[in-house]
Amino acid sequence: MVAELTKNERQGALVILLALAVTGLAMAAGGRGDPFGIHGAMVLVAAIVGIFAVIGGYYAPEPSPERLDSYYDSPTKFGIVAAMVWAVAGMAVGDWVAWLLAYPEWTFDAAWASFGRLRPVHTSGVIFGFGGNALIATSFYVMQRTSRARLPDQLTPWFVLFGYNLFCVIAATGYLMGVTQSKEYAEPEWYADIWLVIVWVTYFVLYLRTLNRRKEPHIYVSNWYYLAFILVVAMLHIVNNLAVPISWGSAKSYSLFSGVQDAMTEWWYGHNAVAFFLTSGFLGMMYYYMPKRAGRPIYSYRMSIISFWGITFFYMWAGSHHLHYTALPQWVQSLGMTFSVMLLVPSWVSAGNALMTLNGAWHKVRDDAVLRFMMVAAVFYGLSTFEGSFMAIRPVNSLSHYTDWTVGHVHAGALGWVAMITFGAIYASVPWLWKRNGMYSAKLVEAHFWLSLAGTIIYVFAMWNSGIIQGLMWRTYNESGTLAYSFVDSLVAMHPYYIARAIGGAFFLLGAIIGLYNIWMTIRTASQDQAAQNVADRPVTEPAIGAPALQPGE
Amino acid sequence: MFGFHYRLERKTIGLVLGIIGVASIGGLVEIAPLFTIHQTVEDAPDMRVYTPLELAGRNIYIREGCYACHSQMIRTLRDEVERYGPYSLAVESKYDHPMLWGSKRTGPDLARLGEKYSDDWHVAHMINPRAVVPESVMPSYAFLQRTELRTDDLSDHLKAQRKVGVPYTDDMIANAAADAYGQAAPDSPAADGVTKRYGKATTVRAFDGKPTDLTEMDALVAYLQILGRLTDAAHKPVATAEKKP
Amino acid sequence: MTITHDLLVWFSKSFGLFYLIGLSLIVVVYAYWPANQKPFNAAAQAILHDDDDKPYRG
Repeated sequence: MVAELTKNERQGALVILLALAVTGLAMAAGGRGDPFGIHGAMVLVAAIVGIFAVIGGYYAPEPSPERLDSYYDSPTKFGIVAAMVWAVAGMAVGDWVAWLLAYPEWTFDAAWASFGRLRPVHTSGVIFGFGGNALIATSFYVMQRTSRARLPDQLTPWFVLFGYNLFCVIAATGYLMGVTQSKEYAEPEWYADIWLVIVWVTYFVLYLRTLNRRKEPHIYVSNWYYLAFILVVAMLHIVNNLAVPISWGSAKSYSLFSGVQDAMTEWWYGHNAVAFFLTSGFLGMMYYYMPKRAGRPIYSYRMSIISFWGITFFYMWAGSHHLHYTALPQWVQSLGMTFSVMLLVPSWVSAGNALMTLNGAWHKVRDDAVLRFMMVAAVFYGLSTFEGSFMAIRPVNSLSHYTDWTVGHVHAGALGWVAMITFGAIYASVPWLWKRNGMYSAKLVEAHFWLSLAGTIIYVFAMWNSGIIQGLMWRTYNESGTLAYSFVDSLVAMHPYYIARAIGGAFFLLGAIIGLYNIWMTIRTASQDQAAQNVADRPVTEPAIGAPALQPGE
Repeated sequence: MFGFHYRLERKTIGLVLGIIGVASIGGLVEIAPLFTIHQTVEDAPDMRVYTPLELAGRNIYIREGCYACHSQMIRTLRDEVERYGPYSLAVESKYDHPMLWGSKRTGPDLARLGEKYSDDWHVAHMINPRAVVPESVMPSYAFLQRTELRTDDLSDHLKAQRKVGVPYTDDMIANAAADAYGQAAPDSPAADGVTKRYGKATTVRAFDGKPTDLTEMDALVAYLQILGRLTDAAHKPVATAEKKP
Repeated sequence: MTITHDLLVWFSKSFGLFYLIGLSLIVVVYAYWPANQKPFNAAAQAILHDDDDKPYRG
């Protein structure tokens, strides 16, 4: 990897790593006896490892100027593998905490192993580790292809990827030590947040620099979605994480906001993290990989633009539906509800656009598990956006809020939409990137698909059932006009569903493990088989996909 | 060539500004008025701040991720009010940086938990939840009883709280560590300072049953026992005026 | 001082509607503007035909 950097870039890398090492050292010294110090030591070690790597390759010959004739895909390759590793890790923790809700003794009296500390490891691991790496990796791939421009340099993309993964590791290890702001999906403390801002701004600038080197005046719509993802996430992240640290040697900080303002800011952030991290970015992914894989252009390019502005606009108002019937002023709740319902329009336009793109290629969907991943993702996107708008209606929310229904809804979106479109995009790009005719095993892709689908359905149905039962039990009155069930009654009723949910999650996890194995084997055989290179030096279009294995009907 | 690139950059920057503009307005329109909300919301003059011990307990609550399963926000629904108590008012969390309203009830709401159960019950429940509630799925927090509470940085905590707007006095900040100790050691001389600074109604007890040592259990139980009791605004009928939009 | 809050709330409640209509109009006009059709179609097709998979060097 260092061999791909020019001399200047190697020097630049050393300067950055030295600065990082000094920062780590200062943190470790200033935060003795505090998790802050441990994180400082981790930063220091990471920087030293990096310095050794750069020095080790420092005197390697510089890359030839011919590199500029091809896209720079090494960062994408790294990002895809990192995404899959995070997927397996994050989902494993998720399934573990799902079992903890059924069998709470499995905490073994260790603080770090309790549900409350492990849960954010799961949420951050899958959202930021898996989703974030997949978004960064695919965005590098897509922005280069759609701009017909190589990344402007070799160092910045590595800084973004390594910096981002350092953030993810700091976040996850922090939770285990009890370092958290308690803001849901924005748990990392102030120093991790500052670091993410630096990485994120670099990412944004890199994106603009690449776009400005493009050949065509028109910017392909995928880039709009990716750009909205980068920009708005930056905005949300900075505002929601404004906080005052108690000292420069402590991990702890206090949020600038309190009470009702904090609640509104937090759910403005939380809901728009769903919108711009988990929707916009992945729509960008979909609008590139789905047409590409199906070999058909987007059904309606205009609709993709209209729904882009619709999503960018409507989502921002919808956050307050997380606070129905609370101490938030009612007019804000009503506004949030109205916009949440209207949000269905651009969402369904996107989902419909995706499915119409496949119209006429259904035989490919039948034969190609990769395209099927993308198709199912579009269906789940449509389903969960409908469910989301429905749950934002105040009377529905009075039943669903605080229950497992919300958890089911989130996972319909996260497993059904986000993970499935990502797996589809990853399976599509791995053979393109490593110059192979196809994945190592098409059968394993097929197995992954069915495990994912089965896991998602089991999970979502379990949570729908438990959530609605829970909500109804909490509000049921008996004849004498008093509440019919104690809280504990409702908890007992959840037990079978918690087990079912954990089993569904295990299915999904197993699929991801198979996926990681399959990708790993594809990479390994690729390095042994350089002969394939001349065959697959271009993106694999329809004839090469699943052709060898998957056509019983022909 | 320069003209072409200029045009490209202008287009990209136009897109960027468009996204920022369109995306920021919804949030601004909804959040900005909330910062003037104190003009319409009835104030709670009797509201007191968290003592250092309660604040430390609150930080343990945050650290252990309790908010992932317990809400602290009773909604304006009949069944919630009957199950948990008067619905939560905005003013009640005005010193909560950040708020802990929560979003999920794997366990019950805790907004009005204070003084509902005895200290002994809480300690037993934390050590082994299933000893008191056999059906519970809560993890055991026995280690809190074994862990000494860190008090050396409590003054820093109070100082940071003051920076974000919580009215701690210099006196409170200077005596933070002593007050934390005193609140859990009722017969010690430090106990008087707590009532002097935080009011007579402040609970001074050996929360974990052992007045001699100050543990994380003391802090957490002290926090749980003050939940919903910083002000009694929610119990007054006039407070309902706040719910009118 | 009460006016400030009321004013903000009034603005928030009324503004959204006009903004919504205005923005929708602009976006629809942009998407259906006849001159834009050609680049849109070209863009939709372009990603399918980058067979040489090489950056452009001008």
